[in-house]
Amino acid sequence: MLVYMAWRVAVALSLAWVVATLVFLIIHLIPGDPAELLLSQGGVAPDPAAVEELRQRLGLNRPLAVQYLRYLGALAQGDLGASLQDDHSVAQEIALRLPRTLELVGAAGLLAFLLGVPSGTYAALKRDLLADRILSAFAGVALSAPVFVIGTLVVLVFAQKLRWAPAGGYVPLASDPLRHFLLLAMPAGTIAIGLWAVVFRMTRTSVIEVLGRDFIRTAHAKGVKSARILVHHVVRNALIPVITVLALHLGTLLGGTVLVEYVFNWPGLSGYLVRAVEARDYPEVMGIVLVTSVLFVFLNLLIDLLYAALDPRIRHT
Amino acid sequence: MSHASRRAFIAGAAALPFLHVPGARARTAGMLTFGLSSFPPNLQPWANTGTAAGTVKLIMYRGLLSYDAKGALKGELAESWAPEGTDAWVIKLREAVFQDGEKVTSEAIKWNLEQVAAEKSTAYLRAEFQGVDKIVTPDARTLRVIMRQPTATLPNWLASYHLPMVSPRSVGGSNVAVGAGPFVLKAQERGVALEFEPFDRYFKPGLPKLKRLKAIAYADENLRVAALQAGDVDLIEYVPWQAMEAISGDQKLKLDAVDGPFMYLVFNGSRPPFNDARVRKAVGHAIKRDEIVKAAFFGRGSILEHLPITETSEFFNAELKDGWRYDPGLAKKLLAEAGHPSGFTCTCLSTAQYGMHKDTAEVVQQNLAAVGIQAELQLPDWATRVQLGNRGQFQIAVGGTAADSNDPDGLANLLDGSLAPSYVRSIGVRVPRIEELLRAGRSEFDPAKRKAIYAEMERVAIEEAPIVGLAWRSQGYAMQKDVSGFKNLPGALSFYSGLTFEETSVG
Repeated sequence: MLVYMAWRVAVALSLAWVVATLVFLIIHLIPGDPAELLLSQGGVAPDPAAVEELRQRLGLNRPLAVQYLRYLGALAQGDLGASLQDDHSVAQEIALRLPRTLELVGAAGLLAFLLGVPSGTYAALKRDLLADRILSAFAGVALSAPVFVIGTLVVLVFAQKLRWAPAGGYVPLASDPLRHFLLLAMPAGTIAIGLWAVVFRMTRTSVIEVLGRDFIRTAHAKGVKSARILVHHVVRNALIPVITVLALHLGTLLGGTVLVEYVFNWPGLSGYLVRAVEARDYPEVMGIVLVTSVLFVFLNLLIDLLYAALDPRIRHT
Repeated sequence: MSHASRRAFIAGAAALPFLHVPGARARTAGMLTFGLSSFPPNLQPWANTGTAAGTVKLIMYRGLLSYDAKGALKGELAESWAPEGTDAWVIKLREAVFQDGEKVTSEAIKWNLEQVAAEKSTAYLRAEFQGVDKIVTPDARTLRVIMRQPTATLPNWLASYHLPMVSPRSVGGSNVAVGAGPFVLKAQERGVALEFEPFDRYFKPGLPKLKRLKAIAYADENLRVAALQAGDVDLIEYVPWQAMEAISGDQKLKLDAVDGPFMYLVFNGSRPPFNDARVRKAVGHAIKRDEIVKAAFFGRGSILEHLPITETSEFFNAELKDGWRYDPGLAKKLLAEAGHPSGFTCTCLSTAQYGMHKDTAEVVQQNLAAVGIQAELQLPDWATRVQLGNRGQFQIAVGGTAADSNDPDGLANLLDGSLAPSYVRSIGVRVPRIEELLRAGRSEFDPAKRKAIYAEMERVAIEEAPIVGLAWRSQGYAMQKDVSGFKNLPGALSFYSGLTFEETSVG
């Protein structure tokens, strides 16, 4: 087991290095000079001497290989560097923003799960009846509507027309919990609509499949109450693929909530990444991509190790 | 019973929209919330890091001079300023203190100006301040700025928001530099918001009027408008053109918009065909500018067929205002004279990142096709567009900016081909007469003579077309009806409107 773990950790570390190198190369290869951009804001021409001085100060004049080695050296010490725009620590900023994105994604996932499983189960039980058709039609619309359209509609209805919620923004939980959750509700709800459709469809299909299994017929034959069969045998068995799919979607949302963050002014990691790319802020882009990738790599590692712990066949192959 | 409950439920549901659920912000007396268009990349006092940063700097800092509501120069930390002969300016300071309690002295001001001009400076006005020979401080409140050559435009530089005066003691560490402006930065959450409180020792008695000011960044223009309409914010900048009509028609809101920034074309004149002034001028006559105003700015702007000098400026030349009027026949004639009777193909660089740049480029493309110029659009992201422009990797490019000031010398960055290559001006297009006139205007102190110099410069520019004006775009601020004192400054000074936060009150 130890050898297996060591091997998996080595693979994970190698993957992290590959990601770090690829991100470094890609961001340096795309056109756009951070110093030039920073001093050219607002469509004005900076003094070339000022741009040169800034480039010098930021270390952008050094050969790419030197920059790469310095980057790896700093990484080895856990240093993600500082923003080229204001010298702010990238690690600190990620530590601030990552939990906000996780909160958004987590809240959306929870909402989607809590609404999707019961509605999917109900639709499966009412298969091909009116309720199933209505719910399935809703799911079709929810899946096909772009998130920014839903988000804009949500802002229009709840903030501009009804004035039940602010149009967007962020308040830390500690400073005003009520307002924090009010501000979280709209973006989380917007993401949850699409996710609900996924959970609903998976649950419906899965429940229909489980309902046809022999052990369900046996349970009925044994006289077990329908409600108990549904909760303990049908839904429980049907949930395995649902959770797998939901987890996959949540994983992709980690770096993919950019439109929702933009529409609702939620200061999470995705919006931070987009602004960093626009500004060609190399340390910020490399830091964010590296952290999210490493998170994925190590989550996979954790799952691999869990599989190995649960199933001896895996660690012996 | 069940019937009564159902009724109650329906009545309750119907009443929900009328309940005042505290979604919108509860207002605090004397506090104004301002919706910024983006979070400033940094708050370095002398570097240009965009208009949002400029507005924040105008909240926190003051320079020696600034502009009043009509756009005329006015004193800030400088009580008076006057030329002494042709090579020097004498500046008298008023009694003021920086926000760290240090006195504003002539030595402190001298230090600021020297930092801007320093060898390792990244200041926006670094090149201009190379023209300062030395600064003398005869006493604590007097400065003599001695120029290498006569410079009538020094007051305009001193009024720039890129030249705030900061306490020398506060510069150097990781903290934000401390100025002498009306508001003190109390807190900031990077990328989200900045909070200010009034500076109780501000040198203007009774100002600022606000008790608190919070600037929240809303990058999405639609959300910025929604936040204003929902009452989350009191004032927003960069009102999107498509929302201006709705805001004007809203009883609770008011719009303050001016034509200030503008769109224009630059050329790569380092090789044919745009090394020929006739071809550049032909492009000027080929563009139907009202289509740009409609397509890119929803009709919120106006055509620009001359150099970007506003009609309200004393330097406006009515006889030249249609210098590049839409005349496809003349455009074809000029092309034929230049040896292109059947037109030619070229590229037109713009960016897909900003709608106004892309829409403008599309109209330009269609209009050029009508006179035989087949322009292929290049629409990379903004960062790439800037780099391609700086390297001269384009043939025609769409630009959008505002002049540095309402003085025609503020156009030097766009017209002076002797300056280093930049995406904001044409590459390889040098017009010695324009360079000469810019120099003459800069060193001429007589207003009437300056007017004549710049009229001549505009005449030459229309013939030589180092740039081609396309359209003024409306630059708007929108606010709740009970916000008073905030004013959108005229023309190119629209981005200086943050100066009026000190006069602003709410409620």
